[in-house]
Amino acid sequence: MLRQGSSDDIEDVSLFDADDEVSRRSKKSKIRHPVASFFHLFFRVSAIVVYLLCELLTSSFIACMVTIILLLSCDFWAVKNVTGRLMVGLRWWNQVDDDGRSHWKFESRKVSAQGHKTSSESESRIFWLGLITCPIIWVIFAFSALFSFKVKWLAVVMMGVVLQGANLYGYIRCKVGSRKNLTSMATSYLGKQFLRQTMAKEDQTAS
Amino acid sequence: MRVSCWRSLPTCGLQSTLFQLRDLKAVGKKFVHVMYPKKSSALLRDWDLWGPLVLCVSLALMLQGGSADSKEDGGPQFAEVFVIIWFGAVVITLNSKLLGGTISFFQSLCVLGYCVLPLTVAMLVCRLVLLAGSGTVSFIIRLIVVIAMFAWSTLASTAFLADSQPPHRKALVVYPIFLFYFVISWMILTFTPQ
Repeated sequence: MLRQGSSDDIEDVSLFDADDEVSRRSKKSKIRHPVASFFHLFFRVSAIVVYLLCELLTSSFIACMVTIILLLSCDFWAVKNVTGRLMVGLRWWNQVDDDGRSHWKFESRKVSAQGHKTSSESESRIFWLGLITCPIIWVIFAFSALFSFKVKWLAVVMMGVVLQGANLYGYIRCKVGSRKNLTSMATSYLGKQFLRQTMAKEDQTAS
Repeated sequence: MRVSCWRSLPTCGLQSTLFQLRDLKAVGKKFVHVMYPKKSSALLRDWDLWGPLVLCVSLALMLQGGSADSKEDGGPQFAEVFVIIWFGAVVITLNSKLLGGTISFFQSLCVLGYCVLPLTVAMLVCRLVLLAGSGTVSFIIRLIVVIAMFAWSTLASTAFLADSQPPHRKALVVYPIFLFYFVISWMILTFTPQ
């Protein structure tokens, strides 16, 4: 009787785990903040698109420049204040003390035990993809403006590089933390990947 | 630009919109502080660069020549004004920091940017006066307005920035600020629409 009871218990526990895993997997792949994700990418991509197509859209250099500046500013504000906090739980800001000294603060949200406050993987992927690729594209534009001597565009491109680079730097510092240096982070990341791959291979050979 | 809520979307969304209104109010308060420069710390403590951006863009737009039909529609002039203002502000900030100032980089940029407001008002007045005519009388009116606003800008920014310097170095800090606003005033005064 006892053995039957214990096997029933074990069965109940395993079913419960399977349900939990399935729900956790679906939660991790669902996008919880669709509006924030959309705007995170919209401003950045439209600034790049306007820069590339400005010759075709309008003959006025000023309209293009003002539009790009407005899009870059909106993107900076949105990514710094809204999308980083909602999508990946990171934030950074500047604080001035009473005696006038300024401090930069970088914070990341602690993961609670329940797990429902963790960010979903697809959101995190969207966030970091948008955050990393766009400054690289603006740096490419900067070099192309320099070498093709289109100096009047250099002001806009430098602004793009500075604003998007600032967000990238701020969020990387939030993620990494101010004490750890990049090499230790890289080695721990590679170690985790290696461990994950060996565990996966072991699971495959076991099943 | 502080954000202070971590919670899920519904409450945070509301707080984000309220926060935006608070942001706008802070920008408006700084504009008022520039027009009546008392030695308050509001401009320095909660610095932001939105006001300077708006002022810079509007000043650069107003400094365009009138020929909107040609391909060369004052494009380079817009970028020039933009670069002069921002590069000039950065250089002044670096200068004050090298002289041992206690103010931080972005605070100084914030003050210099906001104190362009009187000169933007002067540009607006000049454009309106030029609509009426461009003779000697209009030039004298423009000269008086530009000189008054230039003095106002310089005094306002000096009131905020010179305090952070040791006393025997105040002139070394004020002189580049004087030059900076002088260049902008010169651009405003010599503007003639085509």
